Amino acid sequence: MTDDVMISLENVSKTYRGQKAPAVENVSMTIHRGEIVVLVGPSGCGKTTTMKMINRLIEPSGGRILVDGEDVTALDGTQLRRRIGYVIQQGGLFPHMSVATNIGLVPKMLGWKRGRIEERVDELLHLVGLEPGQYRDRLPRQLSGGQQQRVGVARALAADPPVMLMDEPFGATDPLTRDRLQNEFLRLQEKLQKTIVFVTHDFDEAIKMGTRIAVLGERSRIRQFDTPEQLLAAPADETVGQFIGAGAALKRLNLRRIDSVECGDAELMGVEESPTAVLRRLDSCDADAVLTVDGQRRPLRWVGVRDLGPDQADLRGIGLPVTVVESRATLHDALDQMLTSNCGSVVVVDDDGRYCGVVNIECLMRAISEMREAARERDRGVIEASPGTPAQAVRGRR
Amino acid sequence: MSAGTVAGGPASIAAPPRRRGRGLLRRHSAMPVVLAAALLGTYLWVRSSPLDDIERRSLNADTLLRLLGRHLELTAVTAVVVVVLAVGAGILLTRPALRWLAPAATSLANIGQATPAIGLLVLLSIWLGIGFTTAVIGLIAYAVLPVLQNTIVGINQVDRSLVQAGKGIGMTPLAVLVRVELPLAVPVILAGIRTALVLAVGVATLAAFIDVGGLGELIVTGIKLQRTSVLVTGAVLTAALALVLDWLGGVVSDLLQPRGLD
Repeated sequence: MTDDVMISLENVSKTYRGQKAPAVENVSMTIHRGEIVVLVGPSGCGKTTTMKMINRLIEPSGGRILVDGEDVTALDGTQLRRRIGYVIQQGGLFPHMSVATNIGLVPKMLGWKRGRIEERVDELLHLVGLEPGQYRDRLPRQLSGGQQQRVGVARALAADPPVMLMDEPFGATDPLTRDRLQNEFLRLQEKLQKTIVFVTHDFDEAIKMGTRIAVLGERSRIRQFDTPEQLLAAPADETVGQFIGAGAALKRLNLRRIDSVECGDAELMGVEESPTAVLRRLDSCDADAVLTVDGQRRPLRWVGVRDLGPDQADLRGIGLPVTVVESRATLHDALDQMLTSNCGSVVVVDDDGRYCGVVNIECLMRAISEMREAARERDRGVIEASPGTPAQAVRGRR
Repeated sequence: MSAGTVAGGPASIAAPPRRRGRGLLRRHSAMPVVLAAALLGTYLWVRSSPLDDIERRSLNADTLLRLLGRHLELTAVTAVVVVVLAVGAGILLTRPALRWLAPAATSLANIGQATPAIGLLVLLSIWLGIGFTTAVIGLIAYAVLPVLQNTIVGINQVDRSLVQAGKGIGMTPLAVLVRVELPLAVPVILAGIRTALVLAVGVATLAAFIDVGGLGELIVTGIKLQRTSVLVTGAVLTAALALVLDWLGGVVSDLLQPRGLD
């Protein structure tokens, strides 16, 4: 076994008392340091049970579970859980404790000094994008669902555990918030490089979040354990195929992020410029419109010739509103935005909302054909290399 | 059954302390006024009617204070023992290892409450003899159910996912109980204690039948010797005491209402 392995399950089973059939039967799986492994499957398939055995919220009835080389059944359950972050739906915050108390619970149990806990709480609130001064003393019910979820993540990160377990963490939020939380969490993970086991029943979420995805069947039997690319390109059997659902080709757009495709460029102009300057600029290039930006290069509106009136001093408030996407959003998000916006292109912005580039339908088509080409190449490679078990092939991503 | 009902209006939690205080005043100011009026009315009525020897022997400050003191003593001892016993037992009966015992325990407590109080006291005094201890034991048997039941219900109604979350982040079972389950069960448990207090004040009047004293003595005297003024004074004082304790219970449970719940 290499150092690279963080969690390993060896023939793990769980049979509940009074039940003949095991809830989890003979699951074996290795999870590498720094990857997000998503357990996905229909409800009642035992994915949550499997996850909870890792921090022994549920005691396994057979097999071995190693976390960082240590057999978890040999450790004290409570001590073990303090070293593993745990996030549940809606954050699982204690309603009678302030945000700061909630986040500080684990450090306090670990015996940290009060000053250190306070510092850590503020640091974590910053990390998850909540202003400490404003949110530290709030009660959970004074937060929106998305904010509660962020605090839940902050609480799990409090003692900087190397491993995190997340049980449908974004399940109870509306689609828009979920999308944002997912993007934020991926950004966080790039920095933190935790080893994460993530349970969900939403296959699209699995594709978006997972470094590798384990599709589970009855009794947590692993039907396929692979990268999202491989899963979409080559489902191991019919059940997996059904679970992936229709539109696998479209779902592949979830695999590429906008920052990995070549963006186009727009003609930028400050809002304080005059309409004549716009006309001059449009004459000198083949664009139909210029993109107005504010002092921080944040995109504002598309301004074309038709939007310019004779009595305007500057470009404030005229033109069509822009549709923006984060550079970390997927091509799927971009396509979606494009179809709903009225100008057929989206403006890509960085974390601070500054202009990065423009993506239009041609950019997307180019990216899609590249992906198709790459998949074809890879399939050829896999079949030549190991005709036996393509389903178990382990390959890094990104 | 009072189990599961949270007495007292919703406290405004987000509000700063001063507004919370004003809310308390608004919600709880009616009862003292009504009680004061009733007591004053009774006093003026007794004062204005001519009293004979028997009445004068009962209706003087010394006797009334002694009887009231005795009544409070009975109620207080009962309340302390009941809270310790029933809350303790309720906590034990919600632990995973003992949860299966809970139905049996509540039906046992039910028997205590279903038995007619006077019969229970008489039976106990045949067995244990007449005296303060016997009266307290009878009262305890009578008052234990609401506290026990509300403790069990109060703890069980705490969102299971919060208990799981507590365990999941590495709290010990004791920490989960003390920091999560009990604080969130406080309103329901307090409602049970309030009910038990009111019951105990009422039933404690029966202690007079086994010669333990208390405000019941006035009622018994009033009935036996057909002195309406004595009977009414005893009844009014008992009712007032019960209502005062209930009112205090309401104030306390508003003050102890965990923040963040409504």
